[in-house]
Amino acid sequence: MTAAARAWVPRVRAGVERALEWAVMGLMAALATVVIAAVIFRKAGAALVWYDEVAAILLAWLTFYGSGLATLKQAHIGFPRLVQRLSGRSRGAAVVLREVAVLGFLGAVAYAGWQVTVGLWGTYLVSLPAVPRALSASAVPLGALACMAAELLSVFTWRAGVPAPEREDGP
Amino acid sequence: MTLLAMFLALLALVLLDVPIAIALGVVSSGAMILSRGLDALPNVALVLFDGSANFPLIAVPLFILAGAIMNATGISRRLIALATALVGFVRGGLALVTVGASMFFAEISGSAVADVAALGSILIPEMRRKGYPGPFAAAVSSSAATLAVIIPPSIPMILYGAMAGASVVELFVAGIIPGVLGGLLMMGVAHLMAVRYGLPVEQAFQLRRVWMALRDAGWALALPVIILGGIFGGWVTATEGAGLAVLAAIVVGGFIYRELDWRQLRVATIEGGVQTAVVMLLVAASALMSTHLTEVQVPQEVAAAIVGLTDSPWAVLALLNLFFLVIGLFLHSAAAIVLVIPIVMPLVRAVGIDPVHFGLVVTLNLGIGQQTPPVASVLVTACSIAKADIWEVSKVNLRFIAILLAVLLLVTYVPAVPLFLVQLLYR
Repeated sequence: MTAAARAWVPRVRAGVERALEWAVMGLMAALATVVIAAVIFRKAGAALVWYDEVAAILLAWLTFYGSGLATLKQAHIGFPRLVQRLSGRSRGAAVVLREVAVLGFLGAVAYAGWQVTVGLWGTYLVSLPAVPRALSASAVPLGALACMAAELLSVFTWRAGVPAPEREDGP
Repeated sequence: MTLLAMFLALLALVLLDVPIAIALGVVSSGAMILSRGLDALPNVALVLFDGSANFPLIAVPLFILAGAIMNATGISRRLIALATALVGFVRGGLALVTVGASMFFAEISGSAVADVAALGSILIPEMRRKGYPGPFAAAVSSSAATLAVIIPPSIPMILYGAMAGASVVELFVAGIIPGVLGGLLMMGVAHLMAVRYGLPVEQAFQLRRVWMALRDAGWALALPVIILGGIFGGWVTATEGAGLAVLAAIVVGGFIYRELDWRQLRVATIEGGVQTAVVMLLVAASALMSTHLTEVQVPQEVAAAIVGLTDSPWAVLALLNLFFLVIGLFLHSAAAIVLVIPIVMPLVRAVGIDPVHFGLVVTLNLGIGQQTPPVASVLVTACSIAKADIWEVSKVNLRFIAILLAVLLLVTYVPAVPLFLVQLLYR
C-alpha cells in the first residue's frame, strides 16, 4: 500500500465513523422521543396512530445504519480465535474467504434491497400516507452499502498496518 | 439432512471469523436460492427488513439507553452508597455491596455487560484498594452482573419473548423470585469467602447512615418502582415501560440530581446503538433462517424425532439444559436465543412445557454462559477492569457459578419457583 493511501485511509475512516455515529445517536434519540411521546399522548386520550409503524421503522434503520458502525468498530459477534492463531498464507487465505463471504452477502443484500425499494416506489405508509414506503425500505440497501464501506475500510486499515479497534461485547 | 448441511456451512463460516449474523444470512439466503432460485433474492431483503422492524424489540435499545443515562448521572454511585449502608457492616462488605448494587441496577438496566461495566468500574478498583484479591473482586462482580438478565427487566427475556411468542411481562415477573434468591445466595457465599480471606468490615451499621443513603438514593430507587410498577400493573407495555425508563432516568439524573455528564452520555448512547444493531442484525438474519427452516419443516421434524424418544417434559428439559449449557460456552446469549429458540419451541410446546417457565430456564442457562469461557462477555469485561487473568478468576468464580446452577435446577424442576407470581398475578 502506498504512503498516500496510508495517509487517507484513517482520514476517510474517521469521517465515515463520525457520520455513522451521528446517525446512530439521532436514531436512538428519535426512537426514545417517539415512544415517550406515544405513552404521553395515549394517556392523554389522543393515541398517536403512526406510533407502531414509525417506531418499528426507526428500529430497522438503527439496525442497518448501526450495523455499519458495528462493522467499523468490529463489534459484530464472531469467533476470531481460530483465524488469529493462523499465520502466513493460511491466514491470508482465511481472510480472503471471509471477505468474499461478507462482501458477497452484503452486495447481494444491497442489490436485493434496491430492487425492493424501487418496487415500493409510489406506495405510502398506512398510518402516514405522505411518507413513501420506499424511504423506509431504503435502509436495507443503504445500510448494506454502509457495512460494505466499513468492511473495506477495515481491510484497508489492516493492510495499512493501523491497529484494529478492540472487539466489543454485546448485551 | 438440511439442518446438518446448514449447520456445517454455518460452522465453517463462523470459524473463518465471519460475523455470526452475516454467516446466518449467507447460509439462509444460499439455502433459499438453492430451493427457489434467484427469484428468492428480493425476499431476502424483505425478510431482513421485517425481521429488524420487530416492534416488541424496541424495548432493547431503550433499556440500554436508560442504563447509559443512569451511568452518566451518578445514579449508580448512589445505589452503591445505599448498598454500603445496608450491608457494609458484614465481613467482606464490599463484595456484598457489589451483589446488592447489582440487584438494584438489574431492576433498571436489563444488560449484564452494562451492569458489570457500570458497577465493576467503581467497585472492583475499590475492592482492590482494600486488599480484596483481584480474582475474587472480578468473580463476584461478574457473577452478580448476571442477575441483571434474571431480575426484570431483561434484554434476553425480551428477545426470547419475541422469538417464542411468550408474554414479556410474564417472563419479567417469573424472573423476580429466582433473581432475588440467586442474589441472596451469592451474598452468603461472598461472605463465607470473605471470612476465609480475612477481608475487612466496611463500616458499622448505623440507622442514621441508612436513612441518609436512602434519602440521597430515594429518586434512584423510585426508578424501578415507576418502570416495573407501570409494566406489572398493566399501565404501560414492556416497550412503553422502556421509554418510561429513559424519561425517568433523564428527569432524575438531569433535573433532580443535575449530574448529567454529556460526554459520557454521548459515548454510552453510541455504544448502546451499536449493541442494539449487533443484536438486531442477528434477529433479522435469524428471521431468514427461521423462514427457510419453517418452509422445509425442520423444527417440526426435530420435535417429532425427540418426542419419538421421550415425551417426558422433565427429560426434555434435562436435555435442553445440557444443550444450552454447552452452547453457552461458545455463543453470546443473543446469538444463542435467535439461533436455537425457533428450532426448539415446537418441541417445548409438544411436550407441554410452559413457554414462560422455559424462558426462565433459557435465561438462566445463558446467564451461566456469560460466566464460562471461551465466550464469556461479562466475565471478560470484569477481568479487563480488574486486570486479572481469566482462568484465575474462573477458578474463584466456580462457587458463584455453582449457585447459578443450583437456581437453574430449582427453576427447572420446581416450576412453582418462577411461575408462582405469574399464576398469582396473571392467570
